[in-house]
Amino acid sequence: MSETTQAPLTTEEIVVNLGPQHPSTHGVMHFVVTIDGETIRECVPHIGYLHSSLEKIAETLRYEQFITNTDRFDYLNGLGNELCYVQAVERLLGIEPPPRTVFIRTLMAELKRISSHLVYLGCYGNDIGAMTVFLHAFREREPLMDMFEAVTGGRLLYNYLRIGGLRNDLPTGFTDQLHRFLDYLPRRLEEMNDLLTSNRIFIARTRGIGILTARQALSFGVTGPTLRGCGVPYDLRKLRPYAAYDQVEFDVPSFPEGDCLARHLVRMEEMNQSMRIIRQLMEKMPEGEIQADVPRRIKPEAGEVYERVESPRGELGCYLLSDGGAKPYRMHWRGPSFYNLQALPVMVRGGLLADFIATLGSLDPIAPDIDR
Amino acid sequence: MWAAICDIWQGGKSIIIGHTVTFRNFWRPKITDRYPHSKPEENWQPKPGYRGGFAQLKSDKEDRELRCIACNLCAQACPVGCIHIEGEGKGKERHPVAFYIDMGLCVFCHQCVEACPVDALTMTEEYEISRTSRAGLIRDLDELVAAGEGRQEVSRVV
Repeated sequence: MSETTQAPLTTEEIVVNLGPQHPSTHGVMHFVVTIDGETIRECVPHIGYLHSSLEKIAETLRYEQFITNTDRFDYLNGLGNELCYVQAVERLLGIEPPPRTVFIRTLMAELKRISSHLVYLGCYGNDIGAMTVFLHAFREREPLMDMFEAVTGGRLLYNYLRIGGLRNDLPTGFTDQLHRFLDYLPRRLEEMNDLLTSNRIFIARTRGIGILTARQALSFGVTGPTLRGCGVPYDLRKLRPYAAYDQVEFDVPSFPEGDCLARHLVRMEEMNQSMRIIRQLMEKMPEGEIQADVPRRIKPEAGEVYERVESPRGELGCYLLSDGGAKPYRMHWRGPSFYNLQALPVMVRGGLLADFIATLGSLDPIAPDIDR
Repeated sequence: MWAAICDIWQGGKSIIIGHTVTFRNFWRPKITDRYPHSKPEENWQPKPGYRGGFAQLKSDKEDRELRCIACNLCAQACPVGCIHIEGEGKGKERHPVAFYIDMGLCVFCHQCVEACPVDALTMTEEYEISRTSRAGLIRDLDELVAAGEGRQEVSRVV
């Protein structure tokens, strides 16, 4: 036997590039992962592939023109982003929208939350090898997309909210469509729980994987279902109610484990809570005007405002600085995916490479929301 | 030992439950369309207020052909600046001589339609708006008028 084969087996660290075009990275993201055998030693996310310079574009557009761009960074939560933006501008102008408008906005944001979580559910199943759930989740999302189309005229990019109002009232037949959907969805969610959440393989791949402690999560500024999956019931809808959330009853689900399964369960329960909110909103929906009196040329006084809402991914914030002109002097967005992704290296360190995708998928990141 | 058997039993049961769901779905109606091989007309129709291709509407007045008064408000409302208008005439006789919309730049936000004071510009339910060249995406006045043939109302959710 030669000298070399008798030497003890050693492993060395190698660097693997995951992305930018990996099928499971939820958009164009690039991760440089240092692995020792199957174990991840270090992970460095490289972002910026989808940087679209929206904050700079905002400085060249009038306040009412920018609404169309808010749909475009977190594309699964278009109406929630619009809600955040118009609330910021309304606070800057000192306008109070009519009650019916507030209710319709809240309703749309909650429908969008269900739609976003359904996409998460499908993609997460796909990430960890359960392709069927993807098809089921996208089929259940279809009636939702039809509803958005009927209300706003678009399926993905809405441009529905206006400063002090809405583009149009709810169309005829919307209430029936919505109630049919609300009767139908819980059964389908139950079916998807049978298919995925209670599946033994799914549980084995998510329980105890990608653990983030509450202290770590708070120090990284992680919000949304990721934080609630660490046992911190932090939800802006409850803590600082905006729009019509102070008039409805709902619970904030939270699970203390901090692993992928806890984050998944938070999202599944949030869909039920969203349905509960929508039912209450439809019951209490007031009649009346949908547009407040807004000056023809929107020129807020010099000042600044920071508005935040709970998006399906976490705390979405919009900072506006006005110098008294028709265009914002500076605009900044706090995208929840960006802050949530910072915690990824901590979550995957010491784990297996195969669990990396499961952990990334459980954060539900949206690439344009990270880069903007 | 007993724990391991229970484990296998539980695992097997969850997989059988999952397969039952898949099996049930064999009998549910298909919702997919083989678009573009088949037109989706049965399952999907654009709703009123759908934001598709643009059109210019004809005037019902005797003395003018188009409603458009070339006031440039739509071009000012556009966030991307994809509308270009050249007008002619003063006062009541003002009408467009050239009207271009670059559909490659357009973000389909509907703000131009809402800005129009005379309800001349509208979006239609036309959804097959792709072309084979960039130049083909730029719609001129003739194409816009042809797209609005026979239409009276601007796009609006009802």
